[in-house]
Amino acid sequence: MNAVYMPVIGLEVHVQLATASKIFCSCSTDSMGAEPNRNVCPVCLGLPGTLPVMNEHALRLGIRAGLALSCAIRDRTIFHRKNYFYPDLPKAYQISQYDLPLAEGGEIVITGDDGAPKRIRITRLHLEEDAGKLVHSAADGRLEGAERSFVDYNRGGVPLAEIVSEPDMSSPREAREYVQTLRRLVRYLGVSDGDMEKGSLRVDANISLKKVDGATGDLLFWGERSEVKNMNSLRAVERALAYEIERQRILMERGGTPERETRHWNDGAGVTTAMRSKEAANDYRYFPDPDLPPMLVTEAMEERERRALPEMPWKKAERFTEQYGLPAADVEVLVESLPLADYFEACVAAGASPLRASNWVRVEVFRVMNERKLPADAFPVAALSLGRLVAMVDEKKLSTTVAREVFDAMAGGKSLDEALKGAGAAQGGIASEALEGIIRAVVAQNPDVLDEIRSGKDGSGKKRKFLTGLVMKETRGQADGKQVQAILDSVLGELL
Amino acid sequence: MDRMLSADEIVRGLLAKEFSAAEVFRSSLERVRRMDPALSAMLSVTEEAGMAAARAVDECVARGEDPGPLAGVPVVLKDNMCYRAAPTTCGSRMLERWTPPYDAAVVTALEGAGAVILGKTNMDEFAMGGSTEYSAFGPASNPWDPDRVPGGSSGGSAVAVAAGYVPVALGSDTGGSIRQPASYCGVYGMKPTYGLVSRRGLVAFASSLDQIGPFARTAADLARMLSVIAAPDPGDGTSSRRARPEYGAAVASASLKGRKIAVVRELAGMKASLSPDVEGTLARVLDLCRREGAEIVEVSLPRSLEFGLPCYYILAPAEASSNLARFDGVRYGFSRKERTLKALYERTRGEGFGPEVKRRILTGTYVLSSGYYDAYYLTAQKVRQLMKEEFRKAFASCDLIALPTAPTPAFRKGELVDDPIQMYLADIFTLPVNLAGLPALSLNGGFTADARPLPVGVQLIAPQWGEEGLLSAAAVLERHLGPASVAPMAAVKGGDGR
Repeated sequence: MNAVYMPVIGLEVHVQLATASKIFCSCSTDSMGAEPNRNVCPVCLGLPGTLPVMNEHALRLGIRAGLALSCAIRDRTIFHRKNYFYPDLPKAYQISQYDLPLAEGGEIVITGDDGAPKRIRITRLHLEEDAGKLVHSAADGRLEGAERSFVDYNRGGVPLAEIVSEPDMSSPREAREYVQTLRRLVRYLGVSDGDMEKGSLRVDANISLKKVDGATGDLLFWGERSEVKNMNSLRAVERALAYEIERQRILMERGGTPERETRHWNDGAGVTTAMRSKEAANDYRYFPDPDLPPMLVTEAMEERERRALPEMPWKKAERFTEQYGLPAADVEVLVESLPLADYFEACVAAGASPLRASNWVRVEVFRVMNERKLPADAFPVAALSLGRLVAMVDEKKLSTTVAREVFDAMAGGKSLDEALKGAGAAQGGIASEALEGIIRAVVAQNPDVLDEIRSGKDGSGKKRKFLTGLVMKETRGQADGKQVQAILDSVLGELL
Repeated sequence: MDRMLSADEIVRGLLAKEFSAAEVFRSSLERVRRMDPALSAMLSVTEEAGMAAARAVDECVARGEDPGPLAGVPVVLKDNMCYRAAPTTCGSRMLERWTPPYDAAVVTALEGAGAVILGKTNMDEFAMGGSTEYSAFGPASNPWDPDRVPGGSSGGSAVAVAAGYVPVALGSDTGGSIRQPASYCGVYGMKPTYGLVSRRGLVAFASSLDQIGPFARTAADLARMLSVIAAPDPGDGTSSRRARPEYGAAVASASLKGRKIAVVRELAGMKASLSPDVEGTLARVLDLCRREGAEIVEVSLPRSLEFGLPCYYILAPAEASSNLARFDGVRYGFSRKERTLKALYERTRGEGFGPEVKRRILTGTYVLSSGYYDAYYLTAQKVRQLMKEEFRKAFASCDLIALPTAPTPAFRKGELVDDPIQMYLADIFTLPVNLAGLPALSLNGGFTADARPLPVGVQLIAPQWGEEGLLSAAAVLERHLGPASVAPMAAVKGGDGR
């Protein structure tokens, strides 16, 4: 009998909501580079006597994300307390949601392993507060064996949406695709920056293996699932799951059975290690938080968020293909980021041809963004300017070389007109009188070359080409080659 | 008996420049110095901050400005309300040296009204208990008989008003913690409707039941205090946004004519556990109501009286087990530094909490545990809903419900401290009111015939937001019963004290 092992993967994704203040107090959520315990107050430190007050913006973002995932939004939803002791949890309970989550029963479509669209069902989306961060002095950064431990509550109370999928993914690639699709979506919605490195999008994976009879397809055995944590990049998600599939498969082939446990992905070593087994897991003693009244989601609130939904990324991709005739690879890059997609469209609207605009955005704009570590929506060159520039190239008023120079000048802060002037070009190209002047000057500056042509040593036309090159250099490439040729011929004709 | 000024009289005298706020404050301090060694009602006295506040009021009066509705009135706070000027111990070793970096909403309201805070009062640890015997800093004594308890958990605040340290005080009431000590000490104590007074800055015991309320010796003072503290607070998600009346008006126009006051049918079957003094006092007060033109009717509250107690002792500990989990020795308060995290938790909580708190944390943890949640917590929540419904129906046929505040007058120190169930039973008539979220007050209906007479309280319960009805009834009865008496110094001195 030929046994086949089929991975069954479900993901829990924590998304940090893009609110200015924390979910239950007015502390800032922006702690990048902040001193530890700077963005804290009595409420998020859980000091005795303090009370949480719901941040309505977090609720609105949660509703928006729920709608975009095609979930049903609950019109009355409540917070529960999840009770457990840990130093990063100042109240010794996390305010979260339990059996009455904000949103339930949605779906998202990814490209499956067979290349066809595949639906991944969304179980639920719920709101909760983040915990603080522990820093241990032990060499491996873990609590065990640490001489001293420090806790930073800056992150404590930051609003999160936890998005739980059904176990609908069958490969690490699909898992990665799902996370990427979800990340793009939350960015489109303005719900989160989705930055995995900063921890504003965190992924936990539940993975188990089904052992199936290769011939009949009968299920022979279904192993317990393990929960894999600490995957901090898309690559890590893919690698950790691939490792975990191998680990479970080998275990099962040797007659073992995977345990239900939580495992920690060690990115450096490329392995998962056991953290704690679920059997011994905490009893969280969930109960409704009596400090927070039920959140009522009215029709009007839901409608408002529905109206705030942008064109979904997958819809945009379809449209870009049809409307602009762009190749699939271009569409994928442009649609990945909403500001970038908008930028591209604005370039086209300013007169650029779609294909050339796409090239410019994907090459030049990306280059400058990467060099300066700029987000697309803070890009220094206005889309209108780039669009007009590209249109000039389209119309052959400008060579690509000069256009790049103009673009760099604009990226340095110049306006389109200034940049064109600085590059020695005016919109509309070079007048023929001016070009003739330049050609005469070039010829006058190279009497030896002129002599050689005069003496008939330019049978192959190399000398003429050399002069043409000098003219092109002088005109910064914006002169038309044929025109240069014609004028040069007539000037030389006069002199010979 | 010693004649002490009411808050009303202090404000009037101050505005008439008969005396200064500083003089009133000094006289309060003096009384605390003389009596508190025997009564142990105070956990801290904020002399410096209080004197500064009193002087500020005097300057305000001198400038001819309005010094506020509680101008120069000395008040005390139960020691579970955050106040920057003193530690907030909650009667626990866990917070013995913890001074909060903020003021409770009620403290801000009091200060804004010109009140002068005298200090913080003794209480059962984290408000769990009915005698103040569970205070980590020793029990307070009943000023009418120092061998007896003042009730609890807000015992210290009740004593401070009954012994005449101050005319008014604040307590908190989760299952009777204002009304029961008010009854034992012979003063007014009111538990407002849940959501009327902000809980911000009140260290939580059971968040869905806790409510801050006033103690006073006159109905007018009770109303005056309530008007100051009953403000909507956007910083408390459970604070109601509805507009609050000026409660003094209810006292000024007090009448019981045509009001329906209900007795509870099931009380007849509970006589065995009622002291005759309590029964007699209730009958006397009802008789006064009738003479004032009220109609006495009967309602039935079988579920509330039968299941209120078990329901409460599931829900309150459940919430408490979670609310008190933050005291883990990591950030503030009592801490036992240990080599491992588990040992830090265990020793800190093992040594920082007293026996009753531990009992309730254990109970609460148990009833929320997986496998027991449905049988205990969820069932109790359903019963709570039924009790709310039961009260709602009862109020369809009456304006107020009259019940004893407690089954007996103040018991002796040590009598129940090792019998938690009997101690819990002292709250059997008060707990249902918290579970239903309703307002109620306890007023002194008379005294026992003992050699050392003990006060006996009567409880009036109103529908949601019915505080004005309570105050109106109390004001009518006060015309017959007089304001609450200040316990005579002789009674205090005559006792063994502590």
